[in-house]
Amino acid sequence: MNLAGLALRNLKRRPVRTGLTVLGIGLAVGSALALISLSHSIKDSARAGVDEMGDDLVVMQKGASDIFGGFIADESVERVAAVPGVTRAAGELFMFAPAGGNRSVLTLGWPDGSYLWNKVPLREGRVPTAGERGVAVLGEGAAAALGKKRDDTVEILGKTFTVIGIANYTTVINRGLALLPLADLQAASMRPKQVTMIHVNAEHAKAGDIARVKDAIEGLGNLTASTANDMLSKDRNFAVLDAISLAISIIAIAIGAIYVLNALIMATQERTREIGIFAAIGWSRGRIMASIVVEGLLLYVVGCILGLGFSALAALALPYIPTIGDLVSFRPSTVLIALTLAAALALCSVGSLVPAWRAVRMSPAAALRRL
Amino acid sequence: MVRGGMAEAGTAHSQAAESADGDTLIALRGVSRHYDRGAIAALTDIDLDIAAGDCVAIVGASGSGKSSLVNMLCGIDSPDSGTVLWRGQPVRGQRRWSDLRRLAIGIVFQEFNLIPTLTAIENVELALFGNGLSATRRLARAAVMLDRVGLEPRSHNLVTTLSGGERQRVAIARALVNQPSLLLADEPTGSLDSANASAVADLLFKLRAELGMTTVLVTHDETLAGRCARRIRIKDGRIVEDSARLAVAPSVVAEQASP
Repeated sequence: MNLAGLALRNLKRRPVRTGLTVLGIGLAVGSALALISLSHSIKDSARAGVDEMGDDLVVMQKGASDIFGGFIADESVERVAAVPGVTRAAGELFMFAPAGGNRSVLTLGWPDGSYLWNKVPLREGRVPTAGERGVAVLGEGAAAALGKKRDDTVEILGKTFTVIGIANYTTVINRGLALLPLADLQAASMRPKQVTMIHVNAEHAKAGDIARVKDAIEGLGNLTASTANDMLSKDRNFAVLDAISLAISIIAIAIGAIYVLNALIMATQERTREIGIFAAIGWSRGRIMASIVVEGLLLYVVGCILGLGFSALAALALPYIPTIGDLVSFRPSTVLIALTLAAALALCSVGSLVPAWRAVRMSPAAALRRL
Repeated sequence: MVRGGMAEAGTAHSQAAESADGDTLIALRGVSRHYDRGAIAALTDIDLDIAAGDCVAIVGASGSGKSSLVNMLCGIDSPDSGTVLWRGQPVRGQRRWSDLRRLAIGIVFQEFNLIPTLTAIENVELALFGNGLSATRRLARAAVMLDRVGLEPRSHNLVTTLSGGERQRVAIARALVNQPSLLLADEPTGSLDSANASAVADLLFKLRAELGMTTVLVTHDETLAGRCARRIRIKDGRIVEDSARLAVAPSVVAEQASP
């Protein structure tokens, strides 16, 4: 028997206490991971969605406070397309649009014949032909959420559209899209000859190409061009989301910390008498502390495995929850997992060491009197 | 040679401060211990010398300070004032006390104080941690000791499945597995029925005879105390009778015993 063996025996022979402690650590790790991941997921989903479109730059109205707040005249698209270095440009109008019942769907309007239509990853059906009206392509998530399939009709902004295709985008934001001909969406939303954003692909054979194109576009006046990441970083809505994310993260970490500390402090305090016995048979303070920390680390390892399992289950279950699954994805990053586990390790060490230190400082006689 | 001093002797400890006779294993000099911020005096100005090889019974009523005295002798509690000497040297600091308890002092408690989640042999093995032995050698020594207390067949049983008498045998094995110079037994039969108490007492004295360690036995039981060569009676935290001192200086004791 060594210290790890002793700790393992202690844990195995107190299954209820061990189970509850591990559950506490697991819930702490799992909930911290889930809450922090969820708090970042909307922005991450939006960023992934824009990335999936394959833009080099996105152009918006200068001074627009958020991605929904700016409007650009149709004709600006042609001026942007004519900028040297721009290989192609396409205007897009987008908004959250009511789609029957209480549901809103992120709806995009694309021009007839735009290259954007050619990039739609169709699972079935087709995209609109030039000049075709009253038709829509739904992302798989939107189709599932609305209960629509190909050839069904869907009501968006009070107008009826026939579903002619289902797209299987990979990002959760794009899976929840409804794609309409730009003219239909402009008419239905009473925003004729307006787009919200211009997608731009540019030459970037040499370093600095993109920057030159960006400067040239902004030189057209009243426009701002940026990468998708920059655009989202400057967006007011996402700034608010960032603040909320930070607040949720702090709360999640605090709750997790309290869970872990409580579980380990209770588990160690319960062992005060045992600590007195160890001291009475001549164990040094260092050895006693080591035995407690080893036990804390074993609980940490099992608790973290459980916590990762909880978060994996949450990640699997989330897409099936109505109104949540089609808006946010839940994929904790490796960095987030590593940081959460490191924080849990620090907390488990503190949660073991503090009560152990208090216990070994107590005289063994006093510790032995504890029930 | 005066090996025991009565508290009433007043400043006797100051004359012998921080010194002890050559064959003294452990000694207390002016040791006092109070609880509840001084409200309860558990021990008051105790001077005591215990020679190597002695068998000392400490007797007295409940709450007289017997256990507090034993706690001082093994360092699991610290005096508010006074000094404990081990082989003539003051013992200072928990590290030194831990070393002594690991290598030279074995303790048997009334309440056994075994780790309930471990087997008998694992409980005995615990006392060998930190002695530089491999796990195999620790287990072998623990098994030999359990054999000596007659528990080898039950060595792999959880201690919670053992009877009170068996648990105390495990505790005795744990206390003796390091072959200590000093065995402290605090009411070792106090939690046992009479048959088990008698068997455990016999075992303790048999092992003492075999191993020859100094033994301090705290007990209510006058018969059990009678098996020790020296008897110390303690009352209200003070030594009021010490048979060793009585043998050496009866006139002093008789004088101090008078009101």
